[in-house]
Amino acid sequence: MTTSHNPTNAAATEPYVLNIGPQHPSTHGVFRLRVVMDGEVIRDLDMIVGYLHRSMEKLAEERTYTQNIPFTDRADYLAAMSNNLGVCLAVERLAGVEVPERASYLRVIFAELQRIASHAMANGTLVSDAGAWQTPLLYMFREREKILDLFEMTCGARLTTNYMRIGGVSFDPPPEFWPALQELMDEMPTRIDEYASLVQDSEIFLARTRNVGVISAADAINGSLVGPALRGSGVPWDLRKAEPYCVYDRMNFEVPVGRHGDVYDRFMVRLEETRQSVEIIKQAMAQIPDGPHKTDIPLALRPPVGEVYGRVEGPRGELGFYLVSDGTPAPYRFHIRAPSLINLSLLREMAVGVSLPDAVVALGSLDIVVGDIDR
Amino acid sequence: MSTAPRPATPMARQILEHRSLLQRAYALPGEVFFPLLFVLLGGLAATVGIGFLVVAGYLDGRWYDIRDLGNGTSHFRYWAQQQGLPPSVAYLTTALLGGIGILSLVGGWLVIGSWVERRLIAKFQIRQGPNRNGLFGLLQPIADALKLIQKEVLIPVGADRLLFFLPPILIFLPAMLGWAPIPWAAKMSYVDMNVGVVYAIAISSLGVLAVFLAGWSSNNHYALLGAMRTVAMMVSYEIPISLSLLGVVLFTGSLQLSQIVVWQQTYHIWMVILLPFAAFAFLFASTAEINRTPNDIGEAESEIVAGFHTEYSGMKAGLFLAVELGNAILVGAMMSTVFFGGYSFFGLETWIPGYLILATKIGAVYFVFVWLRGTLPRFRLDQLMSFAWKFLIPLSIIQLLVVSVESLVIAQSDLPGLATVGGSVVVNLVLTYFGVRAWANAIGYAPNEMASPPIMTNGVGGLRAAEQIRAGR
Amino acid sequence: MESPGIIIAFWVLAAVTVGGCLMVLVARNLLHALVFLVLAFLGMAGLFVTLSADFIAVAQILIYAGSIAVLMVFAIMLTPLAARDNANSLYLLPALAAGLGIAGLVSVVAVITPWSELKGDALGQSDPVTTVSAIGDLLLGRYVLPFEVASILLFFALLGAIVLVHERRGPREGS
Repeated sequence: MTTSHNPTNAAATEPYVLNIGPQHPSTHGVFRLRVVMDGEVIRDLDMIVGYLHRSMEKLAEERTYTQNIPFTDRADYLAAMSNNLGVCLAVERLAGVEVPERASYLRVIFAELQRIASHAMANGTLVSDAGAWQTPLLYMFREREKILDLFEMTCGARLTTNYMRIGGVSFDPPPEFWPALQELMDEMPTRIDEYASLVQDSEIFLARTRNVGVISAADAINGSLVGPALRGSGVPWDLRKAEPYCVYDRMNFEVPVGRHGDVYDRFMVRLEETRQSVEIIKQAMAQIPDGPHKTDIPLALRPPVGEVYGRVEGPRGELGFYLVSDGTPAPYRFHIRAPSLINLSLLREMAVGVSLPDAVVALGSLDIVVGDIDR
Repeated sequence: MSTAPRPATPMARQILEHRSLLQRAYALPGEVFFPLLFVLLGGLAATVGIGFLVVAGYLDGRWYDIRDLGNGTSHFRYWAQQQGLPPSVAYLTTALLGGIGILSLVGGWLVIGSWVERRLIAKFQIRQGPNRNGLFGLLQPIADALKLIQKEVLIPVGADRLLFFLPPILIFLPAMLGWAPIPWAAKMSYVDMNVGVVYAIAISSLGVLAVFLAGWSSNNHYALLGAMRTVAMMVSYEIPISLSLLGVVLFTGSLQLSQIVVWQQTYHIWMVILLPFAAFAFLFASTAEINRTPNDIGEAESEIVAGFHTEYSGMKAGLFLAVELGNAILVGAMMSTVFFGGYSFFGLETWIPGYLILATKIGAVYFVFVWLRGTLPRFRLDQLMSFAWKFLIPLSIIQLLVVSVESLVIAQSDLPGLATVGGSVVVNLVLTYFGVRAWANAIGYAPNEMASPPIMTNGVGGLRAAEQIRAGR
Repeated sequence: MESPGIIIAFWVLAAVTVGGCLMVLVARNLLHALVFLVLAFLGMAGLFVTLSADFIAVAQILIYAGSIAVLMVFAIMLTPLAARDNANSLYLLPALAAGLGIAGLVSVVAVITPWSELKGDALGQSDPVTTVSAIGDLLLGRYVLPFEVASILLFFALLGAIVLVHERRGPREGS
């Protein structure tokens, strides 16, 4: 791609500004891109965020730790379970709360179910961004719907689950949960093969995603990319392996990494991670012990003075909670390290110099959630 | 409790309890069921009777021979002449009747077609689709149209009012005019002009201007981008369309659509077998021409919102959507006439009215369009352009050379049609297969190198680990 | 000899054509002028239809209304400030003189041509079923040389267009 103008060119074009968003089909929420374009080619790009800012971190300073868990549901609204898990782990480390083993297994099961649901959403919308008339999206929604049914069965909510508690989980799943989960896990591998055959081998999809939005491994690390976007660039960094929390050290699973760092690799990494999640859930179902599902903690938990940074591998990557306690029931500082925001910062490198459709697909492959960006 | 079923959500229960059509028929009460049975049996008897009339030749060419509505109009003209009416009255009447026929046909298709498309896509997407308004949701398109009509038609600030007003009307013209030369039966075409093929191409090229004006006058960058994309694509894809139709014309030796059908009838072969590559080029290029998936880049929703009609609201937007659908049907009609034997079906047209056969074929092509839309992602503009200029056009030109030789052989040699046309079929199939492969290899098409699954690893690390993995552990 | 339908059609189409041409002159917005030009082209095509020259009519639509108009659209889009109103031009007087001269010439030719000689039998005899094959025969028979010359001219025009817009890479950008 030539990036400079030839002033002697008889048929030259002028750059112009295009506002993509805040209301646009492919920004996945209220998020705005201010793009300077020359014809179809993007010359410059600004990302304007903040349309969904709800001042979550400041509000959290007025509430107790347990009261803060529902906020995290609304931060990354496609991965509420993982967010719950992240904040609970951080508070438990800060306050030194022990978690029963059954609760740890339940947490793993629900976090992995959430990962499957979130990856289904991410991959489905990516294919829709590539122009498929939402068919793959709706196929992936079929399984996501079953997972949300399982959530509803367990904690009564589908999206904003508010399920994890400091020191465990809020409810033990009902007896009907386990056969339903078993049934879903048995059919999942064939369903994933279905998605793969629907999309992965489609030549149009390959042509749209191969060598588009390439991030090299070095760039990915320098841009502090996390999650499937980082692994798509070939870096084997998964907190479930690198820094096992809950009972991930007892699970046998592999981490998929991409070969080229393009959109297709990020798509495939998500698809393979779904398979691995199914494996993890199957192992957890086999190993889960009986016992209490939570420990009792005081309602107004007063952690000792200090600070903690707890992190989990959410569907979008490393989800960190930096908490500072001043000994009162409310946190002194409640900071969320949101993977979507950090991942988004590399969009400019991917989009400048390519055409608009490529930029849209690259944005889709980063799997942003605007609630996670703005909080 | 280990085998307890998963509790059904209300929607799932509703779907489970939803009875099929057959079950509903069984459950019909007697006072409905027996009259229905009577009607069905009566229809069967009528069919048998008509079959006898057809075999005995009592119908051929009579005014009540509804297998070809052209009989009726020609008898009417003859009668008017006998009565001493001026010929203009007879012609005007038949022209008006035909025009109303085509208009109501297209209008009916617009209503049924959008319902069919939505229901079909819903089936592809494991959904229900519209099923609330009327029987099976058949009234949904009318409800949509009513909604669109009562919406306000906005004119954006800074828009060129005249040019903003024109396009929805301009774009409707080709979608209607294009139906004129389509033969629905042997004598049943609105204008059986002897330049039918060229007329179809010319009329389709008129839509470009409307699209461009819509995009330009909206004073919106999305609309302008969509318009420029559409115009660039239409201009490029007119060439493969013309070249593929030219191959057909070389064989049939006539630009008249009815003659093309008659040629296919005479040799008992469909053009799609004789010219598979031309049929593919026509189908692909027409998806580009009428903005349908996988080539709907002119109104790519995820990129440029709605393309050239982003700023249109109310029934004006509705007109654009209707034209999109009408164009799909029109292309289906052209495609079935030129490549799929038109109103003929290997002798079936003596039994069944030709227009029903053609309508079925149009429906089949339309189904393919819907199927593509429900399945495929979208190309990028540069990919589409290079596909047209580097693949479709060169191969179409090569095919044209082959076809011109073959058509000369068919026209000049004394061998029976089976030998010459059959030989051409074999030659064309073989040449298409090897030609497409060779050309694809020559321009560097290698799909197998592209798809690579991710590497599965147990390792953890940073850049060095990444390099080790890429190097093969 | 001529039915009223043809006469009405002729006058309507003539009005459309001439009106379109006049509006091309009057319209100050270039794109409006283009739309009226297309209208004039369509009127011309209609006139050809009334003369039973259906191939010419269709070719008129295909080439002029379809392609030339799009070409002009691209020319307008790629020319900076082309969409502005047309200001008064230096060339107003010379253009007026040239236009009047051409109009006068055409009128003179139209007046002195013996149209009446082409009436009656000559027309009736050579009423071809289709004009397409006749045009084809002439193009590839009698007029094959001009046809080929025109195709070569168009080919070079195509090449020229590609050379004009081809963005050459500077020496620094190449690697």
